[in-house]
Amino acid sequence: MKNLNKFLSIAILSVILISCSSSSDDDPSAIPEFDRSAVLVNYADNIIIPRLNNFKSAVEYLKESADAFVNSPDLTSYTELHNSWLEAYINWQYVEMFNIGKAEEIMFFSKSNTYPVNEGRIQENINNQKTDLSNPNDWSCQGFPGLDYMIHGLASSEEEIINQYIQYPANGEYLKVVAHELNKNTDLVINDWSTYRNTFVASVENTATSAFNMLTNDFVYYFEKGLRTNKIGIPSGVFSNNPLSNKVEAYYSSKNGIEDVSRDLIENALNAVNLVFQGKSTNQSPVGPSFKTYLDYIKTNNVSVEDIGSIVVNKIETANQKILSLDKNFINQIDNDNTKMLGTFDALQTIVVNLKTDMLSLFNVAVDYTDADGD
Amino acid sequence: MILNSKIKNYLNQTQDSSSLALFRIGFGVLMTFGMIRFLTKGWVEKLYLEPSFHFSFYGFEWIKPIGDLTYLLFFICTISALFIALGYKYRISIIIFFLSFTYIELMDKTTYLNHYYFISILSFLMIFLPANAYYSLDSRNRGFEFKKIPKWCTDCIKMLLFIVYFYSGIAKINSDWLLEAQPLKIWLTSSYDLPIIGSTLMQQNWVHYGMSWGGMFYDLLIAFLLLYSRTRIIAFCLVIFFHVFTAILFPIGMFPYIMIVGSLIFFESQTHYRMIKKIDLLVKFFGLKDKKKSIISTKSNKNPFVLAIVTIFFVIQLSFPFRYLLYPGELFWNEQGYRFSWRVMLMEKKGITNLKVLNKNNGKSFIVMNDKFLSEFQERQMSFQPDFILEYAHHVGEYYKKNGLKEIEIYADSYVTLNGRLSQRFIDPKVNLLDVERGFKHKKWVLALDDEITGL
Repeated sequence: MKNLNKFLSIAILSVILISCSSSSDDDPSAIPEFDRSAVLVNYADNIIIPRLNNFKSAVEYLKESADAFVNSPDLTSYTELHNSWLEAYINWQYVEMFNIGKAEEIMFFSKSNTYPVNEGRIQENINNQKTDLSNPNDWSCQGFPGLDYMIHGLASSEEEIINQYIQYPANGEYLKVVAHELNKNTDLVINDWSTYRNTFVASVENTATSAFNMLTNDFVYYFEKGLRTNKIGIPSGVFSNNPLSNKVEAYYSSKNGIEDVSRDLIENALNAVNLVFQGKSTNQSPVGPSFKTYLDYIKTNNVSVEDIGSIVVNKIETANQKILSLDKNFINQIDNDNTKMLGTFDALQTIVVNLKTDMLSLFNVAVDYTDADGD
Repeated sequence: MILNSKIKNYLNQTQDSSSLALFRIGFGVLMTFGMIRFLTKGWVEKLYLEPSFHFSFYGFEWIKPIGDLTYLLFFICTISALFIALGYKYRISIIIFFLSFTYIELMDKTTYLNHYYFISILSFLMIFLPANAYYSLDSRNRGFEFKKIPKWCTDCIKMLLFIVYFYSGIAKINSDWLLEAQPLKIWLTSSYDLPIIGSTLMQQNWVHYGMSWGGMFYDLLIAFLLLYSRTRIIAFCLVIFFHVFTAILFPIGMFPYIMIVGSLIFFESQTHYRMIKKIDLLVKFFGLKDKKKSIISTKSNKNPFVLAIVTIFFVIQLSFPFRYLLYPGELFWNEQGYRFSWRVMLMEKKGITNLKVLNKNNGKSFIVMNDKFLSEFQERQMSFQPDFILEYAHHVGEYYKKNGLKEIEIYADSYVTLNGRLSQRFIDPKVNLLDVERGFKHKKWVLALDDEITGL
């Protein structure tokens, strides 16, 4: 009813407006419409779904490696497990930002990458042979950080860790529970995309709940929170009195000298963000319909607007250089020379400024609150 | 002497009482509906009860939400609006409405809207008007009604509407609005999802400019066109067109309907009389019988006290919007003297602001997570308005002082974009905001905008 009213009033108004402007069709200054659906199609078909498929294979392999390791815990199966964990964790960096549809519904992001972990609670879960991890308090006991603890944190060397599994089968059971839970959640998300895809690409309205707006808000939120705050800000002490090097991503792998991966993870996360921003499926592909091309379109429509798209792309490259200059082991980096971490934070923060003010302002993304000043 | 007699003469002029009665009914009905709408949307909870901190207007810090009693306040406000529509115990109802509505608006600056301010001052003015003289439960109960009321009583409502329109028109005479078509260019382009016109007209440059210039002329001229009897009908059609159109484009709630109904006051009293008769038919249809009332000619109102208040009221209304002239710097950027001045839809402004707390004892600092203190909506509003940022800094300062950090300084890391300009640093990062007092003094700690906006 409300929509009908809206439709009728617009129909009447537009007849009046169009009749006042008969010769506008061949106006040379007229600007072609920007196709937001093309952005969503590009994101869904060339980025989100392929990335989810890659992630799915990696998680499947991780699950199998976990089963194999628990079956016969030795150095070979352990190395295989570690490698499959890292492979899946890197793939995770490419999908974490898509907190939309099923992923949002099942809290995929919180269940897969909440860190630091709650060691005490994990030990309780192991002892209680817990299999149901749906309680929000268990978010910090599962996913990749939970696996990081189970694979790298039960003791301080590979041999001792393997020994933990030989001596205490409950450890192996919990490892399998976490790996299978992650695999199950991944299935839920990826299966939903087979039907959600068409809803997604058609949902381009400028409302608080449209896919285009939610994806935009998720993207900015992820950059600010998941990437800037969690990976760099919190461990380097930006939000606390002192640096907290035990809050880095993949803490136990670095701490116990298994492999230093924290830097690899954020490097991939920034690459993932960069590709989405430019609408590329890989670094070699051309720029596709994306936030960047939308910003470029707005600029052609409005000469006084700055080239936000290029500014952001350049700043991402600067931030990437800062990241590459860091120690692969973030615990060492923070404990020895935290200023480099803080410098990386600043480089990421200046991108957040452009995304959160300039980009959201130009997109004029509708937000949940309601009445504004009108005239 | 001539002036004096002219004034006397004016004060003696009368007008049919149905005009003010119809205005009262329209006002009461819209306000009742507006309050119920606010309640049913769950905004009381979301805006007033959930946040742990509320932004106050300077000098009104003592006005805060009152827990669950806030609902009672909204209930009182709704009932008083209903009583106004009915004309039941009108004087006390309009006073209670004015007080409760204004209290609600002062509870949190985050929700400030010009049209809420309009409702507040209009209801204040209505305290002094005999809006229950005719077709009201009051007149039914006392057994007589007045056929005439002083002409100034409807003129002052027209005057207030004139100020709202004309001043918002003046505010549009600036280079962003007229020469860049901003912020309409951003807003209209993003209205791509409207049927038919969204992907066509709303994307055209000439439409952005046409609507900017058209909007300015509309605001400047509409009150004159409504005053002049020969253009009144077409002007009212324009009012409807304009406000329905803006209601479709922007999420502006009740405002368009308030202005459409309010503009009816410009019509002749015969029209108002006929409309009241229509309302009466409806009332009778529902079986309410009219009591016999005697008609007394004129409700006179020449109380010098009332006249003085109304005069002072308009002197303030006419001059207050120009207080921004007392401040240096760009009005849209510093927002010194921006509110309460009918500046509407002039800015697409977004910001990002974080506070850095420096512990002087050990030289260490940390950044405050905004969601620890503010709701999302509050954070958004805080991020681009200097007085919000200062108040927030003081609140955060008090919090950490209470929690044992005695010697601290607070700095803002703040960036703002205005009307499509590239974001730039907003607050001087070297100023300890705890050293700055709140108040109406010029805010030197807001960095200058790297651009100039010319205009009134």
